[in-house]
Amino acid sequence: MLPVTGTQEVVTSTASPPSRSFPSTQDRPTTAGQALSSGSKVSKSSAVPPPVKSKGLNSGALVRQMRRIIAEDAEWSLATVPLLTELCIQHIVKNFKNNPLLKKLLPQHQQKVLKLLSPDLPLAVTANLIDDESYWHRCCVLRWPVCHLDSHGSWKRVFFERHLENLIKHFIPGTTDPAVILDLLPLCRTYVRRIRVDQFLPPVQLPSRPHSAGDQSDSGSEGEMDEPTMDHYQLGDLVAGLNQLEELDLVYGVKDCGMNFEWNLFLFTHRDCHSLAATIKACHTLKIFRLTRSKVDDDKARILIRSLLDHPALEELDLSHNLIGDRGARAAAKLLSHSHLRVLSLANNQVRAPGAQSLAHALAHNTNLLSLNLRLNCIEDEGGQALAHALQTNKCLTTLHLGGNELSEPTATLISQVLSVNTTLININLSCNHIGPDGGKQLLEGMSDNRTLLQFDLRLSDITQESEYLIGQALCANREEARQRTLNPSHFLSPLTAKGPENPAS
Amino acid sequence: MNPQSGPLGVLGENEEEHLTAEIRGPSIHSENPQERIQARRLRIAARLEARRREALGEYLDGKKESEEDQSKSYKQKEESRLKLAKLLLCGTELVTNIQVATDIRETHRRVEEEELRRQRLEKLENEVKTSHDKFDEITAKWKEGKEKRIPQELWEMLNTQQEHCAGLIEDKNKLINELQQELKMKDDQYVKDLKKQSDDISLLLERMEEQVKSVMKTFRQELNHIEKAFEVERQELLISNKKKWERALQAHNAKELEYLTNRLKKVEDYERQLRKQRVWDFEEYNTIKIKLEQDVQILEQQLQQMKATYQLNQEKLQYNFQVLKKRDEESTVIKSQQKRKINRLHDTLNNLRLKYAKQIKQFQEDNQSLTSEYKRLVIQYKELQKSMRHFTLIDDEKFREIWLMNEEEAKDLISRAFNIDKIIHTHHLGLPWTAPDFWFLKNVGPISQKQQKSATQILEEVLMQTEEEAAEEAGAAPESYLDLPKRVSAKTTRKILMLLCDESGFLIESKLLSLLLPLEKNECYLLRLDAIFSALGIENEDDLYTLVNFFLKYQAHHLPSSQDRASLASSMEPAEQLDLQGEEKQSLEEEEAPSSPRLIHPNDVLKILEAFVMSLRKPRDSRAPVKLLKEVRDNSKDSEYWKALATVVSQATENLWDGLYLALEKYHFVLTQRAKLLAENSALEQQNTELQALLQRYLHSKINEELQIPPIQVFQMPTQPKRP
Repeated sequence: MLPVTGTQEVVTSTASPPSRSFPSTQDRPTTAGQALSSGSKVSKSSAVPPPVKSKGLNSGALVRQMRRIIAEDAEWSLATVPLLTELCIQHIVKNFKNNPLLKKLLPQHQQKVLKLLSPDLPLAVTANLIDDESYWHRCCVLRWPVCHLDSHGSWKRVFFERHLENLIKHFIPGTTDPAVILDLLPLCRTYVRRIRVDQFLPPVQLPSRPHSAGDQSDSGSEGEMDEPTMDHYQLGDLVAGLNQLEELDLVYGVKDCGMNFEWNLFLFTHRDCHSLAATIKACHTLKIFRLTRSKVDDDKARILIRSLLDHPALEELDLSHNLIGDRGARAAAKLLSHSHLRVLSLANNQVRAPGAQSLAHALAHNTNLLSLNLRLNCIEDEGGQALAHALQTNKCLTTLHLGGNELSEPTATLISQVLSVNTTLININLSCNHIGPDGGKQLLEGMSDNRTLLQFDLRLSDITQESEYLIGQALCANREEARQRTLNPSHFLSPLTAKGPENPAS
Repeated sequence: MNPQSGPLGVLGENEEEHLTAEIRGPSIHSENPQERIQARRLRIAARLEARRREALGEYLDGKKESEEDQSKSYKQKEESRLKLAKLLLCGTELVTNIQVATDIRETHRRVEEEELRRQRLEKLENEVKTSHDKFDEITAKWKEGKEKRIPQELWEMLNTQQEHCAGLIEDKNKLINELQQELKMKDDQYVKDLKKQSDDISLLLERMEEQVKSVMKTFRQELNHIEKAFEVERQELLISNKKKWERALQAHNAKELEYLTNRLKKVEDYERQLRKQRVWDFEEYNTIKIKLEQDVQILEQQLQQMKATYQLNQEKLQYNFQVLKKRDEESTVIKSQQKRKINRLHDTLNNLRLKYAKQIKQFQEDNQSLTSEYKRLVIQYKELQKSMRHFTLIDDEKFREIWLMNEEEAKDLISRAFNIDKIIHTHHLGLPWTAPDFWFLKNVGPISQKQQKSATQILEEVLMQTEEEAAEEAGAAPESYLDLPKRVSAKTTRKILMLLCDESGFLIESKLLSLLLPLEKNECYLLRLDAIFSALGIENEDDLYTLVNFFLKYQAHHLPSSQDRASLASSMEPAEQLDLQGEEKQSLEEEEAPSSPRLIHPNDVLKILEAFVMSLRKPRDSRAPVKLLKEVRDNSKDSEYWKALATVVSQATENLWDGLYLALEKYHFVLTQRAKLLAENSALEQQNTELQALLQRYLHSKINEELQIPPIQVFQMPTQPKRP
């Protein structure tokens, strides 16, 4: 995207992509593509090379030219005349916008029609009518140069999800009409399962106050206040309409602001927080909720987590790269015991020892949580020891990330004890701590009794290379064992992820 | 969840999905010291990894060698797998190293930041304090100023105040400047950090790309390797299979050829056989045809016959059927009858059962009554026996009385006969009469054998006698011999018995011995002997005497052997004694008797006793039935006796008497004739007289006159001749 000099320009530049301008820009290439595709179609059917070439060359004027050529062409034959079905199909494709005929056709004709349809037909026509994957693939490829199917499932889903995300990204509260998004809702509600938005634009701030007053009539009540309202798009209506939504990945921030940086752009307001909390509480199908890099502090985290208590479907909660402290951690700990949470990430927050202790307390008797990430916090030895104690009783956790937590030898000794007892842990990360050589030795001792751990990250943790190497060997042996176990599953019920590292190799 | 992307996904925002890394190169020459350290570490790690891989490879090799049969492709696969796993692991490590490095940098930064913040806060606090003090000072001076009345002083003071205030503001400004400086530095730092981050990200991307490339390359290589291995294996397999196949094909061909030749031969053979068979079959067919035609004819005949018989049988069977039907009817009738009968019989059976039960009851009662009767009869029988015994006694007595009576009568008759005989002899014959003398005439009472005395009685007698003898004199002894007919002197017997009594004390019960002590000597002997005899089985007189005799005989036989021990005086005689055996033995023994007890040595007594008991046992058995008959009275002599009584008158006298009787009879007859004749004569005389009287009356009756022929005339005629 272009570098922007002012907020207004930002608005204009970001506002340009949405749907109105989009078809116009795509108009020409699609017609060309259509012509090309139709030409190729004809060539396929006729299977005579010379006329095809000529036809391809003068694709503009069709009928008269053809007649003239035929009259002079000695090689002309009846085979080059397109079949009536072909002509009908072409006509149907041409008038598809006004008269969408698809379901009444024979299957092979349906296929042909779908192949010929232009990808920029209005969604209102195509959304619920066309299920064909190849069509939607064409649509996607046309709009976005890079498309992945793997994380979505179907091309139709890819298209709708990305389309919706695009709309939300470029929605400017107060300026953009909310109907733009809500109109799409009945079309896409059955296909959208994931919303991944890494940008929420703040409302437009016109330089002259009196002018902007008229524009900001929506948030009129706050208009008089000194600080302008910085609330972002409210997801409530949209999410309430999407009955298949499972994943919500949000970042309250602005991308590519460049030198126009202002702190205001990155403001996750209380109103945003409350509305988001209400939204996720109302969405009972939500499984994954991510809110990262959004300056969520303790209070906001508490508000959000309170709304998530006893959520029926939530499995993953990611609040990494925020400003959550001990109180937020305590709230998260409470959430652990009041939900079916499987993955919890509080990476790069400000959780300290008390927060870690409360998390450890909740973890001690938890039977759902599989992964806990506390990277780049500062839980220190106190918190680390509490977590280690909790792991001695926990029988569920498989992944634990404690990188960059100022941990040292005491925690290492306790974790080494855990290693010899625990049989569920598969992945531990203790990198970027000050474990020291003695701690490394103790961890090595603990590893000697362990048969389940597959990954144990101890980089940059001041342990001797010898112990690191030996631990690595033990891990390798464990991995080999796990692989044998998966190859011969009769011996043992293999853990979920035991298959892991060998998968690409085999 | 793919574990490869899992941990990486957690890592954060500056990394996206990737599997890339570079093995070495730019990182060592990076301007960042951290980066370089990282790179060196990685190099070391890679070396270690290589070493470990070797070890593991060896281990795996060893494992593989153990499973030599594993194919080459499997080996290659395993190798590639390990290699790729290593590669991926290293790659991810390499990539994530950047993240780790930034993490640690961040933590360091945070620590520093904290420190700095702390310092700043301290500084600010100090500043606040000092400025506050100054401010207080200034405000205090204002008060002073108010009191000042002199303008110069006031001006001076104001000046100083101004200066002070300026100083304070200056201080503040300085602080602000410092802080702004710091801020600027931070901004610079931020920009640097941003740059570094972008560097990092570019490095990361580079590494990722390189990693992707290398991984793809290695994957491709390994795939090629594996494919090659597979290809080689496939080739080998193909070759081997082809060889096998060819071999098999050759073998097959050879076999096929063999089979073909065999088959041809066989075909020829079979054709020959077939021809032969065909000829043979044809002939056989003809013969069989002829035969079968004949058979058909025969069978047709048979069929006709069978048809005839069939007809016959049908009729017969129909007839039988009719008969059977009738029989069936009859049988049904009979059945019903039988059923009725059965019912009746059942009734009777029930009745009989009832009767039977009744009878059982009755019989039981009868049985009871009969048993009671039987008991009664037994009692009666016993009474009868008692009475019988009583009657026998009475009968004996009666018998005796009758005997006596008859005897008396007989003797009366005999005496009468003798008297008559005497009269006849004296009166009629005039001969002298002597009374005959017979033993039986003196007999009074029934003849009976004398009862045997029991052994104890004998003993008693013997002992008593000896007592008496002892009391009288030895001279009186011969008289007492009478009672011992057995030719053994009482003295000898006594002595033997004394000896026996002394020697065989063991036969007596010890209790009895104690009882005997206070008794008299004789009685003592008696009781002792009694006990001994009962032990030996000696019961009566005979036994006792046989015992005594046995003793004597034994002594006689064995004397020579015991001679040496015996006295010299008695040893002289045995030789003579032996010579005199036989008839004189009895007297000899009597003579020797006194010496015999002395001759019998007490030691021999037991031997003798033993021998005696042995000998005694035999006869005892045979004698038992005889004893039973003893009760019946011996009446053989009675008839003799009575005959004798009857034949008291001898035949001669009887003949005499007969003759006499005949003569006297004749004489009597004559006499009676005379008497008769006399009586007849007198009767006839009387008759005659009467008849005369009667005749007279008839003749004188009137009837005679009326009759034409009077009966007197007829009558007179026969009467006349008769009259003589």
